[in-house]
Amino acid sequence: MTRAGAVRAAAASPPMGDDVVRRAQQGDVDAFEAIYRAAMPSVHALCRRMTGDEQEARELVQDAFVRAWERLTTFRGQSSLHTWLHRLTVNVVLEHFRVAKRESLRFASDDATWAGVAGTDRRNDTRLDLESALESLPRGARIVFALHLEGYSHDEIAQMTGIAAGTARAQLWRARRALSSLLDQ
Amino acid sequence: MLVDETLPADRREHVAEHLRACAACADDVARLAAVAARLREAPPAAPAPGDLWPSIRKRIDDTKVVAIDATEAAPVSRITWRHRVGVAVVAAGVVLTVLVLRPSHSVPVEEVPSSSDTASLRMVADSVRSYEEEARVLLNRLEIQRAMLRPDAMAAIDADLRTIDGAIEELKRAIADDPNNPALRRLLAASFRQKVELLKRAGSAS
Repeated sequence: MTRAGAVRAAAASPPMGDDVVRRAQQGDVDAFEAIYRAAMPSVHALCRRMTGDEQEARELVQDAFVRAWERLTTFRGQSSLHTWLHRLTVNVVLEHFRVAKRESLRFASDDATWAGVAGTDRRNDTRLDLESALESLPRGARIVFALHLEGYSHDEIAQMTGIAAGTARAQLWRARRALSSLLDQ
Repeated sequence: MLVDETLPADRREHVAEHLRACAACADDVARLAAVAARLREAPPAAPAPGDLWPSIRKRIDDTKVVAIDATEAAPVSRITWRHRVGVAVVAAGVVLTVLVLRPSHSVPVEEVPSSSDTASLRMVADSVRSYEEEARVLLNRLEIQRAMLRPDAMAAIDADLRTIDGAIEELKRAIADDPNNPALRRLLAASFRQKVELLKRAGSAS
């Protein structure tokens, strides 16, 4: 993750005191609840951006925090807790996609698919908000873009999603163009 | 790549030169950069879901999710019956050895330990003190982590600790009767070492 991404993740939620983290690592569930309440909004936003589906995002938020409880003793403080949580959440979501073996990780390169995104019906004539615009992207591109917003480099995104770095760049480029078109309408 | 600031330096000037001459491309880059900046600066717009904590807490409680140390992944199940048999066998062996090594009280014999025996006794005494201190620290840590272990696993650990502690007490009584017996002290050190190993295994599983 780039430094910019780490800073963004840390800024997304209130800072977590060392004492709270230490108590949670020692098995204090109430302390872990405090961590959950502080970090949940940003973790939920990340899951929502990657999945584009609220129900799926809610399930993955729970999976992520249960995994965080299991793995909390591995947190050594080399990054902020929120950076560590976001990284863990990304792994939980990507594992979910792999297990589901759905088309979610298919990376559309055909112009017809992308033309459909740009031509999204806007009859109500209101500007799409950012999250809605993201949700209208093809799923693979949305995942790449969400990871890009988290601060991962092209190479990191490629490694995490199992695609070539060039494909990651291409998906990102297409996503930006589509979003630019949607948001300017 | 220009917008991402990942364009190699040797190509940047070439691209910049093109942008100076091509208004359409320059406009394109500006729009893409604006999208990127806007998305980075915008706070997450998705509404926070209802309270998920009760479900998360239930999953933690139901599955007795135990924090795993990634550096020493020793799940609770590794404190198996083999370990428990091992603890019992060693403890029984300690008791038998104590009975064999304990001097007969009907034959009062005064023995003056040799200098090599004294040095050996001192070394073993130092080892015992060191193990005793380490066991004390590990016990304190286990008490803190007790809540994270399954009740049946904790009961097994407690039973093993009682067995080892019983052997240790037996040895201490024997040493009180025969303070110059290096074999007893070595046994005591071995028992403390076993206690430390048990506590370390329990600690890595919690």
